[in-house]
Amino acid sequence: MGIHPEMHEFSIVKQIVKSILLVAERYNTKKVAEVNLVIGKLTFLNPLRVRFFYNLLTEDTIIKGSKLFIEEKRGVVKCPSCGYEGDIMYEEDPVHHIRIPTLHCPRCGGVVEVIGGRECTIKSIKVVA
Amino acid sequence: MSPLKEVVKAEEGEIYDIELEEDLLRANEELAAKNRELLKKHNVMAIDVMGSIGSGKTTLIEKLVRALKKKYRIAVFKGDLTTTIDAELIERHGVEAVPINTGKECHLDANLVRKALQKINLEDINLLFIENVGNLICPADFPLGSEKRIVVISVTEGPYMVVKHPFIFMNADVVVINKKDLAQAMGVDIEKLRADAKEINPNIKVAVTNGRTGEGVKEVIDALGL
Repeated sequence: MGIHPEMHEFSIVKQIVKSILLVAERYNTKKVAEVNLVIGKLTFLNPLRVRFFYNLLTEDTIIKGSKLFIEEKRGVVKCPSCGYEGDIMYEEDPVHHIRIPTLHCPRCGGVVEVIGGRECTIKSIKVVA
Repeated sequence: MSPLKEVVKAEEGEIYDIELEEDLLRANEELAAKNRELLKKHNVMAIDVMGSIGSGKTTLIEKLVRALKKKYRIAVFKGDLTTTIDAELIERHGVEAVPINTGKECHLDANLVRKALQKINLEDINLLFIENVGNLICPADFPLGSEKRIVVISVTEGPYMVVKHPFIFMNADVVVINKKDLAQAMGVDIEKLRADAKEINPNIKVAVTNGRTGEGVKEVIDALGL
């Protein structure tokens, strides 16, 4: 597998599948019915591609056929200067006509820190006893 | 993984919930923190050099090594196996070069760096360049434990490189805009690229270079605080 722009989600989905199988084994279960993922909007992960690789990589496993729910978490920032806390701001670039995220604090113009929206979490799964 | 909740005996065929709350990106962050601790313990400053394929990462590292080898004891981790400049060139400057085999992965992660750190004597060095894989997408989400992160882009990639990859600039300390000599030919406005990077990350430092001639390398050294 070469470095292809559309394959970045592949390895993390492999890890997701591996984790689920480990848990399923510990619970001695024969079938996974549902998987709940939380994916931050400030990550490189594209939910559509995650779903694509999930279907591909669960094909020969007990996870096959399970329902996959993906919750997208918004980017959340906090300003160490003025205490502002809220969604990450997006600027409309006048030249490229594209929305770009910015770490500018909307309140004081300082620089914010990202405190949310950078996760890739297996929140929970549902298994069949 | 979080400790398993106690399992109440379920009826055959019954469906039940298992809470996991396992963040896979967090797991890498924790390993990165351990790497950082280890490097700090041995007084080694590590720099993660990210950038797209062909942007000039390797040439930049070579120039930095050449400029800094009298002042620092340097080692280089080579994570980009598609590069044509091999480890020999780095070793020509008397620095140790450790190749990291990323296998099928499109980015370095903290685990691979952890393993590579075991291959060198950290007492022998005080500056480590980690050349990441040519990729502007996922490295942002896989910190390695370095003290600083550089992103190298070049004008030959066009004017949209920064705005198309905001997250990597959010996670970098320095952006190097390379191949400045070709900006006019490409019709690329370097000042716009600079402004784009600053818009995304007001704290990012910007250096403009010609990697082949070495012009601007001093700017990079200053931006890194070396």
